[in-house]
Amino acid sequence: MKLKIEFGGGLELLFLNQRTHLIVIPSTVPQGDKNGQPGQPVDINFLVHWLKDNLLKERPELFIENGTVRPGILVLVNDTDWELEGEGGYQLKEDDEIVFISTLHGG
Amino acid sequence: MSEFCGNPAAETGEALMPTKPKFDRTRTCVKCKTNSGNLVIRHSVYCRDCFTPLITTKFRQALEPHINHVSTGPRRGALKPSGGLLVAFSGGMGSSVLLDLVHRIYCANVGSDELKGGREHPRRSRVWKRIHVCYVKTSDVFPEINDQTAQIREAVARYEGCEFIPVRVQDAFDRSWWERVSGDAASSSAEIPVDLNDGDSEPIAALKAHLRALPTPTATQSTLSTLTRLLLLYTAHSIGASHLVLGTSLTSLSISLISSISQGGGFVVPQAIQEEWISPFVKRTPETTSWSGEVRLIRPLREVSLKECTAWVWWHQLSVVGKQRVPISERTIGSLTKDFIIGLERDYPSTVSTITKTVGKLAPKGKSGMRCVLCELPTQQSVQGWKARTSIHSFADAPSPADVATSLPIYLCYSCQTTLTSKSSRSTTSLNSGSLSTTSAPDAMDLPTWAAARLAFGVGIGEEQSATTSTSTNETRESRQSLIKSLVGEFLLDH
Ligand SMILES: [Zn+2]
Ligand SMILES: [Zn+2]
Repeated sequence: MKLKIEFGGGLELLFLNQRTHLIVIPSTVPQGDKNGQPGQPVDINFLVHWLKDNLLKERPELFIENGTVRPGILVLVNDTDWELEGEGGYQLKEDDEIVFISTLHGG
Repeated sequence: MSEFCGNPAAETGEALMPTKPKFDRTRTCVKCKTNSGNLVIRHSVYCRDCFTPLITTKFRQALEPHINHVSTGPRRGALKPSGGLLVAFSGGMGSSVLLDLVHRIYCANVGSDELKGGREHPRRSRVWKRIHVCYVKTSDVFPEINDQTAQIREAVARYEGCEFIPVRVQDAFDRSWWERVSGDAASSSAEIPVDLNDGDSEPIAALKAHLRALPTPTATQSTLSTLTRLLLLYTAHSIGASHLVLGTSLTSLSISLISSISQGGGFVVPQAIQEEWISPFVKRTPETTSWSGEVRLIRPLREVSLKECTAWVWWHQLSVVGKQRVPISERTIGSLTKDFIIGLERDYPSTVSTITKTVGKLAPKGKSGMRCVLCELPTQQSVQGWKARTSIHSFADAPSPADVATSLPIYLCYSCQTTLTSKSSRSTTSLNSGSLSTTSAPDAMDLPTWAAARLAFGVGIGEEQSATTSTSTNETRESRQSLIKSLVGEFLLDH
């Protein structure tokens, strides 16, 4: 499954200093993957772990906390607040655009 | 999950409480009731179209009633500020949104068709004749962080009509900066001494020494924010600004209110939200009603959460330079409070705005007549008490340094006393290791130029007080300066 991932608010610094990433991930949780129920459709929590394992280069604690996105990061799913879409449990679809923006850049 | 050392309480809470939606009823925008929503703001759903006017309105409601010298209240008449506008700009999220809104509302749309005519959009003339943007850089003092002045200058240059003023945090200890901001007022009236710091001590060295003498990382953090605030206020005064705006968001305001209260700043809660600052060079009598150079410090984003700021940045495609973190310990009251509030805002979004609303209603007891020499905020000390102990009419009357040392707290607010003397493992260690010897301590406490000036001559300490220094001779001034230096040193050694 193809996805477009964007990082903002300084988060891109953790991801090769690149704002936009076009990625391909499995559409169901692979066998033996402990980031979800194998065989189930993948959700944002799965994506977050996938990004940590495959793209994140440093300081995972700035991106992920208690198994999901750290507080202080705004997540948009196709331009809509992920709180309207079921947060970490949102089931990803082909060509979804997921944006992660850190709010922690201060005043 | 086990590899993360998160907050154990939060982890348990996560496990026990099923995730429930963070929005009320439907996904439709509460404003237009037509579009499907894009953002949840404290349980309410807004679409992208309604989001922009929502933020613009919050911003204007927080700022515009305070633009005229005499408040016009919520019902606006013509907006006529007494002086210019200074925008504080750190490069961070909040101030990036602030600058964008200031420019959008007061520069870009002035005279545009969109805002001409009609009852909804009365014709507006330019509200601010001059808009300056001030950046206080800290990179000279902390080699670990990069100098971002060039990127900041570039970011400001994108906004036409805004003039850039870079300031360095060590300017607080710089005699030539003090001469620039105090200008004619100082040289013509009070001959304010600026050489309390040893003449040859570089401002950076003086600031570093000041920071080294502080007992805790929390004290360092609050000192840096006090220095920044005063540098901005004096800069505002020096360019004839009547208003200084800061990009403090609702989230940041909650963080600073809570951490300030826990550091003894409860008396100045109202000033943490909004502040009327009078430069020591301003001569005012109780009868003065017109603007005479005061600076009104306003936080127009105080009702806008960081989440809303972030959405603004994203949807309006602002590029945020980013505020660099000063390399001091993460275990300060400020950063612990920040983690707490940020987590709270995600899980219980209404609670954070309740904090600022509740705290904002606190009215401190007692009337204040004087200001702290370090942070220039009102203190609880009585003017009489201060005067009784500090009316030095000639050097012969001056108390011995020992006497004065015991009275230093009277010049300082409770919060600054705490900042200078709070106990910590670090201060014990440094005392034990002998790095703060009896002879080196006084030099370790160079003071910011404004504090030195106020201490030496009592300039502007009482609000209605004017400088009474015309009779001072150089000789007594030098004596007083050495007196103050030893006084500060003894005060620190006593604690
Ligand atoms: Zn709407
Ligand atoms: Zn103070």
